[in-house]
Amino acid sequence: MTVLSNVAKWFADPAHWRGSDGIPQRLVEHVQISAESVAIGALIALPIGIALGHYGRFGNLAINISNVGRALPSFGLLVIAFQVFGLGNLPVLVALVALAIPPMVTNSYVGLREVDPDIKEAARGMGYRELAQLVRVELPLAVPLVMAGIRTSAVQVVATATLAALIAGGGFGRYIIDGFAQQDYTKLVAGAVLVAALAMATELSLSGVERLLVPRGIRLLQARVAQRATTFKTA
Amino acid sequence: MEESGVTYGWIGKPRGGKEMSSMNLNLGSGKFLAALAALVFVATACGSTGSGTPTASKGTLTVAGFNFPESSILAEIYGQALAHDGYTISYKLLLGTREVVAPALESGQIDLYPGYAATDLEFYNKGAGEANGDPVATTAKLNSHLQPLGLTALTPSSAVDQNAFAVTTATQKKYNLTKLSDLAPIGGQLTLGAGPECPTRPFCQPGLKTTYGINFKAFKPLDTDGPLTRAAFKNGSIDVGLVFSSDGDLNSLGLVVLQDDKHLENADNVVPVMRQAAASAEVTRVLNAIDAKLTTADLVTMNSQVSGEHQDADAVALAWLQQHNYWS
Amino acid sequence: MPAGAFLTYVDPWVNWTWLRGHVPLFIDALQQHITLTAIAVAAGLVLSIPLAIAAHRWRALRNPLLGFFGVVYTIPSLALFALLVPYTGLGVVTAEIGLVGYTLLILMRNLLVGLESVPPDVLDAADGMGYRPLARLLFVELPLALPAMFAGVRIATVTTIGLVTITALIGLGGLGQLINRGLIENFHTPLVVATALSIALALVADLALIGLQRVAIPWSRNTAG
Repeated sequence: MTVLSNVAKWFADPAHWRGSDGIPQRLVEHVQISAESVAIGALIALPIGIALGHYGRFGNLAINISNVGRALPSFGLLVIAFQVFGLGNLPVLVALVALAIPPMVTNSYVGLREVDPDIKEAARGMGYRELAQLVRVELPLAVPLVMAGIRTSAVQVVATATLAALIAGGGFGRYIIDGFAQQDYTKLVAGAVLVAALAMATELSLSGVERLLVPRGIRLLQARVAQRATTFKTA
Repeated sequence: MEESGVTYGWIGKPRGGKEMSSMNLNLGSGKFLAALAALVFVATACGSTGSGTPTASKGTLTVAGFNFPESSILAEIYGQALAHDGYTISYKLLLGTREVVAPALESGQIDLYPGYAATDLEFYNKGAGEANGDPVATTAKLNSHLQPLGLTALTPSSAVDQNAFAVTTATQKKYNLTKLSDLAPIGGQLTLGAGPECPTRPFCQPGLKTTYGINFKAFKPLDTDGPLTRAAFKNGSIDVGLVFSSDGDLNSLGLVVLQDDKHLENADNVVPVMRQAAASAEVTRVLNAIDAKLTTADLVTMNSQVSGEHQDADAVALAWLQQHNYWS
Repeated sequence: MPAGAFLTYVDPWVNWTWLRGHVPLFIDALQQHITLTAIAVAAGLVLSIPLAIAAHRWRALRNPLLGFFGVVYTIPSLALFALLVPYTGLGVVTAEIGLVGYTLLILMRNLLVGLESVPPDVLDAADGMGYRPLARLLFVELPLALPAMFAGVRIATVTTIGLVTITALIGLGGLGQLINRGLIENFHTPLVVATALSIALALVADLALIGLQRVAIPWSRNTAG
């Protein structure tokens, strides 16, 4: 198909690997804004989700916040952020952090709730105080679900960061938006391929991180690991 | 996992094991299917707002506009005039750049858009450089390219809106700028900002390079003379930006347009571009009558009303039509 | 006035007077939004049910199907819509092809998980009672998979409502049209109200589906998440 061969030629062209509109530059922009958003989102969401899960409070809110997160229209959020903060990375960051928080809250809450109460009681019986129990017993057991939440957020943020180009942002979304505006379909497809590849790479690498973090004993116990965490799509 | 709605204890078996053994499930699933069907039916019934065409309608036309407010205003003026004349009009406003709208016209998804003679010519002739300062000659050349596509451009208006390049007053003072030629020696220090289509448009970045010899340090893709461009001026991320000559808010924003001394920009007079099949004698008469009365000053006024005061494009268009006693 | 001040007219975040005078605009946008969503979810259901059943019945199909639609899922929606435009134009068909592509993964995967989590004892009991495979599928497995499917419909609906706003960039959009207008005209009110309405619509749809689930399959109350 000519479309595919044109796209292959586009990738083979060295001019597309240099300069401020080159693939490396756009990759750095995209990864940077995505990573920052997920990191800040995690800083906010994980403590909340873990605390709620540990104390067993506000369960309904914690679970349904995921649904609220899915309901947020990313296009609308980005434009509102632009009108509040102006141009630059800040509006994109704010919008993406808002989208990154819900899955992490829900998954960490559920992860903490799922810890077998017998284990918690045993820990208490062994003399663990509250914080130690949380950190050394509950959290390691909850890691798979917490990581699934982070993974879901990360993949979704990577995909949604493409819309940042609508408010003059960078990243791979530029190829898609500029390609559409210029009716340069080769560029557009190349951009889509790059985003999809980055999203899949994000998921794979975070699965790898999860494999490293989950204590071996827990992995052996698990009947079924968390499935591919792509049920969030906001862009 | 939360995605399947069933909370699995991840050490152990699915929690809901106990309740899943009822045998009278047929009723349940039947009710569910019926309810779902009803929901879909109601939603689609509510959604079909296709109003029945009045028997007196002379035909249906779809009018489109580009992704900036002035185009919405012009599309509304054309559309409302035709509607008053008995046509059924549907609108696709803020549809996109010409690169998106023109193919839609060629494929018949839309029937009419308010074009600009010189830019449209250079779009359909793929940048051959045939446009000049004479609107009539430019439109004639445009038609020579449109006819084979089954399209046509009507009579151009005296109202003009062409690309213009502006700087902030601070930049103007810093480099002592009055005209675009002044940018040639300092291009390498400046950033150009415009819509993402600019690097491929003859009257934009490529034109500045060939006509004026300006090689910018960088290009920042923003929007077509919209809030992103204005914000970029404000925060200094661009030095030179594309605006439109009919914008009403440039003074209040502290922006100065540099004079086009080498006449890069040409006769961008407003002209309806439409499908030949839709360009009946009646439609042509209605639209040409409007274009005869439309002036650049009108464009400037209406632009300020929509962009500055947030009046609706359709209200502003209606006011113009009534003000010109168009319907009497 | 400081150089670079945007407008002399101060634009409140929600101009209630303007809003009161423009209610039909929002109602039209809502209708288009609901229609686009309903078609996407309904078509997704119709297509995903046979696909999920096939993937469940013939294990060889499972991974290819999930894999293919999983890849489609990672394509940013704007790119997918834009890619279809030269072939299917700027209209409902383009938007729906894209939207259905996404709902298909969600619905298919959820239904598959639901089918796969039917306890083997129940299947054995059904076989023991004399159910033939097709009857077992229709009267035992599918009904038991309904809670998972409902969860999928909820997720698909809420997700689609968010994605419909992006179709504004190909001439549709529902409430997204008003968001687009708010961006281009630097106008707060349509943007803020359309965004809020989109969120509200999604939440209302979700609650309605929960209610529907309680009515249609009341026995699932203790199992649904």
